[in-house]
Amino acid sequence: MSPARLFQGGLVVVAAALAVYPFFGTGYGVRALLQLFMWIALAGSWNLISGLTGYVSFGHVAFFGAGAYTAAILITNAGWSWPLACAAAGVAACGLALLIGYPCLRLKGPYFAIAMLGLNEVLRALVSYFEGLTGGGSGLSLPTLQASVPIYYVMGLCAAAVTALTYVIITSRFGLRLMTIREDEVAAEAMGIDTARHKLYAFLLSAVGPGIVGGLAARDQGYIEPISVFPLATTITMIVMVLFGGKGTVWGPVLGAVILFVSQEVVWARFPYVHQLLFGAIIVAVVLLMPRGVLGILQIKYRLPRTV
Amino acid sequence: MTFKVVGVFVAGIVVLATTAVVVDAQGPIRIGASMSLTGTYAKLGKNQHEGYKLCERDLNAKGGLLGRKVEMVVYDDQSMPATAVRLYEKLITEDKVDGIMGPYSSPVTEAAANVTEKYKKVMVSPLAATTSIFRKGRKYIFMVISPAEVYLEGLVDIAAKRGLKTVAIINEDTLFSKAAAAGATDLAKKKGLQVVFTEAYPKGNTDFSALLTKVKSLNPDVIAAGTYFDDAVALTRQMKELNVNPKMFGVTVGGDLPEFYDTLKQNAEYIYGSTQWEPSLPYPGNKEFFDSYKKEFGHEPSYHSAAGYAGCMIYAEGVKRAGSLDADKVRETLLKLDMKTMFGEYKVDQDGFQVAHKMVLFQWYEGKKLTVWPDELAAAKARFPTPPWNQR
Repeated sequence: MSPARLFQGGLVVVAAALAVYPFFGTGYGVRALLQLFMWIALAGSWNLISGLTGYVSFGHVAFFGAGAYTAAILITNAGWSWPLACAAAGVAACGLALLIGYPCLRLKGPYFAIAMLGLNEVLRALVSYFEGLTGGGSGLSLPTLQASVPIYYVMGLCAAAVTALTYVIITSRFGLRLMTIREDEVAAEAMGIDTARHKLYAFLLSAVGPGIVGGLAARDQGYIEPISVFPLATTITMIVMVLFGGKGTVWGPVLGAVILFVSQEVVWARFPYVHQLLFGAIIVAVVLLMPRGVLGILQIKYRLPRTV
Repeated sequence: MTFKVVGVFVAGIVVLATTAVVVDAQGPIRIGASMSLTGTYAKLGKNQHEGYKLCERDLNAKGGLLGRKVEMVVYDDQSMPATAVRLYEKLITEDKVDGIMGPYSSPVTEAAANVTEKYKKVMVSPLAATTSIFRKGRKYIFMVISPAEVYLEGLVDIAAKRGLKTVAIINEDTLFSKAAAAGATDLAKKKGLQVVFTEAYPKGNTDFSALLTKVKSLNPDVIAAGTYFDDAVALTRQMKELNVNPKMFGVTVGGDLPEFYDTLKQNAEYIYGSTQWEPSLPYPGNKEFFDSYKKEFGHEPSYHSAAGYAGCMIYAEGVKRAGSLDADKVRETLLKLDMKTMFGEYKVDQDGFQVAHKMVLFQWYEGKKLTVWPDELAAAKARFPTPPWNQR
């Protein structure tokens, strides 16, 4: 059996195991995996814009928060069912990305990163300001509903969808053009690529996932406040997961999310005072020692295809 | 011969195995909680955690609970509701703990309560002071401290009695501080004070210069602030820098920590703080608690420590009187319980909402906190009015 076949087989086995897990697992296991899926979807989405085009977004959590608030408001004020509200959250995040991406993606280098950072802070301030709708600093409490298992499946599908989308993009001409922009934007333009439009498409795609996932997370936790859905730390975690796994790859974000989330849950939770220090150390170590991430190293060492 | 030896050996193993099983059934009662050991609330969460630890020790010194030892299982929730939700799920479904205690702060409790309600677990929540948490039809959550709305009652009351006219109310824009500020606004209006300024600032804010400049231009008699620790310190420092001089300045949380004085030194003088508890209050067992806490952890307890300790003791009392760990039986007992702890009185209504506990107001006085309100508990009269910064 070829390694590729073996890999595909393994993937099917893992997917099947995850699909039946809620029937055997504990409430905690379901919840922990649910949050792992969330991180995979978030990291994967960040990778779509920043990993592929090289435009580093420091405010991607803005789409997560926007999705969380959209879904929470639709559920509490308009009485929508949660699957519908979460779909709307994805649309809202995409709309926001269009609004922001159209002007901001013309900014180059650090300017785009800073603009995104600002977007997150502005959204948080707005949410705190419009108290009537959002509850302001008191947050929004959703009606009690125990739906961890359905949310588990939807969250899992989101993670799978983002990963599949990454594969499709990387193996397409569209993906090649995005990577050309990353390597040399001027050359890309000279070759006739409409860079502004391509960057915007990638940006829109990268916002949908966090929007939906934000809605799901809000529904699952049952309570959101500005500080818990717009934390800068979430963007940093997404970035570290992608860098650690391997940016611009299909499986890098998944690998990074799994390794970092599991180690946080299993190892670091036992050393609360050291784990933040360790997290910082990992960032530094990755940037210095393996800028291409775990997968990047494996790709070079074992000559894996670009589509891994 | 060898047969016999083998027989004895086997018998021995059987005996050992059975004792092991018996001992296992009599294993400790495990009580789980998530705690803000890191993150925004780390300082306050640590004190609550120590309250839990001391409670565990004292319960075990008195023979444990229902004849079994007590063991606290605590994880770090990083002051994040999402993490706390996951951890309570872990405590209940994986660790299968016998009892649950609440986390630190209202937002984290609000999120965690959804999990404990789902599994019908009693959660005594010693550090959740927001009324709305207890008014949602939840059945298994119990409140220990006074609600946020009455935190600044003492400050407003003294101001009114001293004939002050205007008050500015500011707060961190989060669940608890907002409720404290809203409560203060209502009380002030009721007592005939004029609320000339209200503003909320985001959590984690450290620059208050714009806000304080506005306050200064209005020159209110009283500044009442719904705060946690870091913002309470930053506010005080910047009030001095900008020379804002109200006749009274009071904060909600953080002002009562010994670190507040250690950090600000003489700048903390004259500042009012509201607290759920003080070491000097004449509650039963309060002195013993203070002494043993200081000995155990090498620093003085704050009210978070005391509330944690008392909450844990209240839960233990509920279990003891119910004679069982069964959530519904413990719930019934806790609803009826009327208990005088070292933290003050405990009694709740049908929602588990605290109705008996009293707030006190203190003032920093030469490095010590002196209780100045209510009159029946006061140790001294308030030093009034607060002099300008350059005369302190």
